[in-house]
Amino acid sequence: MIRINPLTLNKIKRFKSIKRGYYSFIIFFIIILFTLFAELFINNRALIVYYNKKIYFPVYNKMYPGKVFGLDYDYETNYRELKNNFSNSSSDNWVLLPIVPFNSYENDLKENLYPPYPPSLKDKHFVGTDKAGRDILARLVYGFRLALLFSFTLLIINYMIGISIGCIMGYFGGVFDIVFQRIIEIWSNVPFLYVVIIISSIVTPNIMLLILIMVFFQWIGMTWVMRTITYKEKERDYVLAARSLGASSSRIIFRHIIPNTISIIITYAPFSISSGIITLTSLDYLGFGLKPPSPSWGELLQQGWSSLQSYWIAGSVISAMILVLTLVTFIGEAVREAFDPKLFTTYE
Amino acid sequence: MQTYFIRRLLLIIPTFLGITLLVFTITRLVPGGPIERIIMQVQQMNAAERGSRINFTKTNQSQPLSDDQLNQLKKYYGFDKPIFVSYFIWLGKILTGDFGNSTRYYDPVLTMIVERMPISLYFGFFSLIIIYSICIPLGIIKAIKHKTIIDNSTSVIVFIGYAIPGWVIGILLLLLFAAKFEIFPLGGFTSDNFFDLNFFHKILDILWHTALPLFSYVFGSFAVLTFLMKNTLMDNLASDFVRTAMSKGLTFKSAIFKHALRNSLIPIATGFGNNISIILTGSFLIETVFNINGMGLLGYESIVDRDYPVVMGILVISSLLFLTGNILSDICVAIVDPRVQFK
Repeated sequence: MIRINPLTLNKIKRFKSIKRGYYSFIIFFIIILFTLFAELFINNRALIVYYNKKIYFPVYNKMYPGKVFGLDYDYETNYRELKNNFSNSSSDNWVLLPIVPFNSYENDLKENLYPPYPPSLKDKHFVGTDKAGRDILARLVYGFRLALLFSFTLLIINYMIGISIGCIMGYFGGVFDIVFQRIIEIWSNVPFLYVVIIISSIVTPNIMLLILIMVFFQWIGMTWVMRTITYKEKERDYVLAARSLGASSSRIIFRHIIPNTISIIITYAPFSISSGIITLTSLDYLGFGLKPPSPSWGELLQQGWSSLQSYWIAGSVISAMILVLTLVTFIGEAVREAFDPKLFTTYE
Repeated sequence: MQTYFIRRLLLIIPTFLGITLLVFTITRLVPGGPIERIIMQVQQMNAAERGSRINFTKTNQSQPLSDDQLNQLKKYYGFDKPIFVSYFIWLGKILTGDFGNSTRYYDPVLTMIVERMPISLYFGFFSLIIIYSICIPLGIIKAIKHKTIIDNSTSVIVFIGYAIPGWVIGILLLLLFAAKFEIFPLGGFTSDNFFDLNFFHKILDILWHTALPLFSYVFGSFAVLTFLMKNTLMDNLASDFVRTAMSKGLTFKSAIFKHALRNSLIPIATGFGNNISIILTGSFLIETVFNINGMGLLGYESIVDRDYPVVMGILVISSLLFLTGNILSDICVAIVDPRVQFK
């Protein structure tokens, strides 16, 4: 049973009362849910195949070779062809394809025409294809999923390191504090994007390595915030009371200080998410991010920038970015207002 | 107060040494430096010579330079000494104003930087003027009209600008106004025939080229300053001295402009010193999007090309600017607000 502190309940109520942020949160939540189950909407595998009185569900199953459905090859079934076959032959077999029957890697090329292809309802490329003939909508959605995974993992690791080091700095002070202050000062002056570029131009990073490189430079932010908060919190009466009751330092930190600072830490989270998405997009745009075939917004932006005549490439990515980043910023603004209120006495 | 600033100034030294040493070490440890590039060039030259006879053989994979040549190269670039020794040699040169030569273009680093500076200065200066001349009035209006339609609608616009990075806005602007409607040029700082134009047309040409990048620079920077202005002004409007001023018979207007506003400008002044580094460094992403040859692009290209003397040169200048900017901010605060005591 989770016991919700009445103070927290109050904050949640206040958050709900800030309409712009609350609705943004709901929309963003739906978008996240959608991307988690994106396979059901955007996929080259069929949702349901009815073949010879048997029903198959290829999306969340192992791959079915073409032979299973009476085709003459051993590699994965091309369900779009299968659908055509079925509708041409007058059997009662059928295929239910997702709304967008492409995944983010396949090149859907046409004869006598070079990609990028403009948006077309007939081809089911609702926002067109990129320069390699890959469906942009699929790449947008799967790229967003990767970016979210990246940002959330980055946030968790950053905050874990930041909270522990910051807490120690603020609580114990002394030599540890001074040494880390200098380290942070040096660290924060190193142009971090530059170093990231240097490192990722030697090794092509996978997503985990990229996260680690980022953590290496971004732990500072949270550490600094946490140090300041702990510093203030330490001087308050409840800590003194706990100490006079004989509580150990670790008990004071974990049972008293950290729970009391959570509400301030949370206000930073949405902005960390949006900065994570932006960083990954910038790196991908410059070509120092994830390995090429992986779907990414930055890579699409690069394509869109280099061929502005194909307006649908840059147009769709930028609209997606504006939508997502604005939602996250609105959420962040509302969370800050709800959790860390600054109530104004307005002058009449 | 004086001792405080002297101490701050002295603290620049260890921080500066730390930053440069860290980046210097990284540039040393990372492969792909000038020597590797020369080896590659020699390999390509050899391959091209042999190319007519043997195509695509693996022979050019072997080391084309003799050990003697390699040592000479290492000596030329100073790679023959341990990191610390060569770091201090480099530092000594920097202190005498010798930034070395670019390992790629063989030009002196300092002239390369000085050549690019006016462009970044142009953007920095004008975006600064635009930002301050919009944010301060906007913040005042938003504070007076708190929770009205004007306040809410400008909030939405400002937050959207804050959410989206400037270079993405830049691509959007290019898409709309350069590719679709062809009102503005696709990039660059001046037209090709720039030197044939008269003075007036030169100015127009630069304005025409820089309208879009300038907009991308400023659009994202409104949020922080506007809300800082708004919040502090609202704090002051509710405070006792404004009420006293009003009860003495001042109009609302003069109470705001003569009493509240002056005090609200203090936090705005706090950040002013940091602008010095924004002015000179510029965003390399916006510069790549618009193909502008500023400091940002120079720094970015030098990293991609492993042109380490340029990387280090820019780092020296930008970190010094950043560190002095912080102190300048403090001095600004001390000037504006005599109550502040630095210890």
